[in-house]
Amino acid sequence: MSNHRIMDHPVLGKLEKTEEITFIFDGKSYTGFKGDTVASALLAHGIRQLRVQEESGNPRGIYCNIGHCFECRVTINHVEGVRSCMTPIEHNMVVESGRLQPVPFKSTEADKLPRTYAEFERGLHKEDDPHV
Amino acid sequence: MDDLIICRCEEVSLADIKRTAHMYQCSAREVKLRTRAGMGYCGGRTCRPAVDAVLEEVTGEKPGNDIPLKVSPPVRPVSLSTLGGSERHE
Repeated sequence: MSNHRIMDHPVLGKLEKTEEITFIFDGKSYTGFKGDTVASALLAHGIRQLRVQEESGNPRGIYCNIGHCFECRVTINHVEGVRSCMTPIEHNMVVESGRLQPVPFKSTEADKLPRTYAEFERGLHKEDDPHV
Repeated sequence: MDDLIICRCEEVSLADIKRTAHMYQCSAREVKLRTRAGMGYCGGRTCRPAVDAVLEEVTGEKPGNDIPLKVSPPVRPVSLSTLGGSERHE
């Protein structure tokens, strides 16, 4: 079922067979073992991308794998922002990857804006400016 | 090397932080406000030491815990329902 899982480790020994658990990731069904986290079960299936950076769409996945960095956050059973590296898989769990989000308009002249009130008073104050 | 992403949440590269620090000769906090490095989902827990280190290299600012990039509670991002109330309201 999965070819990325280490079944026989030179130091840790053979992997004990435990209960198989089926869960859903982005509409597809996957099987992991009891005790797997969502991230480890998906990694065993060769899935490394768990979400995209919300603005750029660049891929993101496991980074620290100890629950520190929130890079692997996914939506689990409609709860957003759940760390997949810290969440054990359960039967029929519905996991969805993080998607691209709409981007707010960006200021194109941020560098021309005053940094302090003193700079504002010196430079940008105009008589007919409606915002002053 | 400069393509290296320092803040993964807000996708800010080492080049962005260096450029901002050189251009404005500013504090780590100002770099944070200008580039959004350290303002993402993880709350700067992952990149704060790196941003501090770049700033120390560029402007000589020593990382402290008062004004520059201070650490504030909560330790991890939590949903409001964790803080109080038992039901989820979407």
